[in-house]
Amino acid sequence: MDTEDRPAAGPAAAPAAPDRPPGTARRLAAVQPWATLAARLALAGVLAYAAATKLPPALSVQSVEAYQLFPPAVAEFIGLTLPLLEFALALLLVVGLATRYAAAATGLLMVVFIAGIVSAWARGLSIDCGCFGTGGPVAPGETAYGTDIARDLVFLALAVLITVWPRSPLALDRAFGLHR
Amino acid sequence: MGKASRQASRERLRQERLKEQRRAKRTRTLVVAGAALAVVLLVVGGGYLYLSAERRADQRAAEQYADLPPQTVQQDGSVVLAREGADAPVVEVYADYQCPGCRQFELTSGPTLQSLAAEGRAIVHYRPVSIFAQRPDPLGTNSLRGGAAARAAADFGKFVQYNDLLFEHQPAEGQAGFAPEDLKQWGSDAGIDDPAFAERVDAESTVADRFTGEYYPDLVARAQDALGEDELAAMSLRDLIDWGSGNGVDASFLDGTYVGGLIDATAAVGEKYAEGDNAFGSTPSIYVNGTLLGNEAYSGNGIEEAVESAEPGEVDTRPLATDDSAATRESPDSKE
Repeated sequence: MDTEDRPAAGPAAAPAAPDRPPGTARRLAAVQPWATLAARLALAGVLAYAAATKLPPALSVQSVEAYQLFPPAVAEFIGLTLPLLEFALALLLVVGLATRYAAAATGLLMVVFIAGIVSAWARGLSIDCGCFGTGGPVAPGETAYGTDIARDLVFLALAVLITVWPRSPLALDRAFGLHR
Repeated sequence: MGKASRQASRERLRQERLKEQRRAKRTRTLVVAGAALAVVLLVVGGGYLYLSAERRADQRAAEQYADLPPQTVQQDGSVVLAREGADAPVVEVYADYQCPGCRQFELTSGPTLQSLAAEGRAIVHYRPVSIFAQRPDPLGTNSLRGGAAARAAADFGKFVQYNDLLFEHQPAEGQAGFAPEDLKQWGSDAGIDDPAFAERVDAESTVADRFTGEYYPDLVARAQDALGEDELAAMSLRDLIDWGSGNGVDASFLDGTYVGGLIDATAAVGEKYAEGDNAFGSTPSIYVNGTLLGNEAYSGNGIEEAVESAEPGEVDTRPLATDDSAATRESPDSKE
């Protein structure tokens, strides 16, 4: 899971891609850490906002129940822990601790979210995805599954970007000698 | 040593060094991953404990009042908690929100009274009074502010909930408490979201401050000059206020206020239970069908037994006509 072991994986370390002039590679190498930093902060902002709007937990539990996928006790547990997990991941991404793992976990979370939305869509449920606060049933025709999935795909792309190129400035990882 | 073997050993050293570097890097990665995991566990675990405790408390609170019977404000500002058409003994609760004994009573016997009322086994008549009204700030003001705010909460059907919150947050004797901001916050905690409640709390707090800070000291000073200590000591607060009205100490700022209503209610209980075994002397005073309870009032079982062994009774006040807000402001003298 370390970029440094696979120098060819990222433009940062790529000496020169054969189909690209060397100047472009250098520019990419210079830009990549800043792009990763921007992605880290953006994703952290999204996660923290999502966590904050899910509270108080009654809202969050209701959102989970609306998916009708879990027994009440499990929905309750997920409803309470999901905003906390989002907040914890946001924290890791902001400070840049275990950046790669935090981003991978966030990406995984997005995949789970997308799967949940697809399942609700496929079963013909009329619910708000509960991604940001207001979850629960909505009027048929007021669902926004397509938009929700598209949005989560963007977040997934950010998570993938960070996972593949975790090297960025202002990261605690550097203090531990990782992704320098 | 041959050139080949030197090269081989150099190569071996290089391999060792690489292996060493890789091992160190693995350790660093493990440390970082471990630290990150600890952060996640701390946030999620700690947050879960906090949120689930908070949620359980919310659910308990919701359940606690879920099967509360109707609360009906009476003309004198008291509140009757009873099932509709309940035929049961009447438990009168006279309490001052600043009185520590009343707090003890509410903590031990309050829930029992609520469930007795919910089951139709008792008619609970909450009759807040202010025995501390004549004491200086902060004792007197706390008592008046608390009682008036409870009366305001009764207008929104949340007297019982608010009563519990006031006792829960009772200031220590001699310390400032029941601040208007807190009183308003507890209103929204009890589920009152009408801004009229907050306005009323502020208005009543101003009246309480004026009563304790300006009006009462002035009244006492004049009465001392005119009547003398002995006669003054024998007078009830209501009598004293009436004397003042006839002798140039204007009490009209109390008209129509809940602070004024509280003072009237306190005078009324003194007249209702004037003498004998049932004389009203202090708070809390708990009467079952007009008979004063002793220490048995301070336990849920004691209250329950007293109620069980009593006959059905009658409430001696009339419900306030809800569409006539002016009646709210009338003094309880009307019931005489």
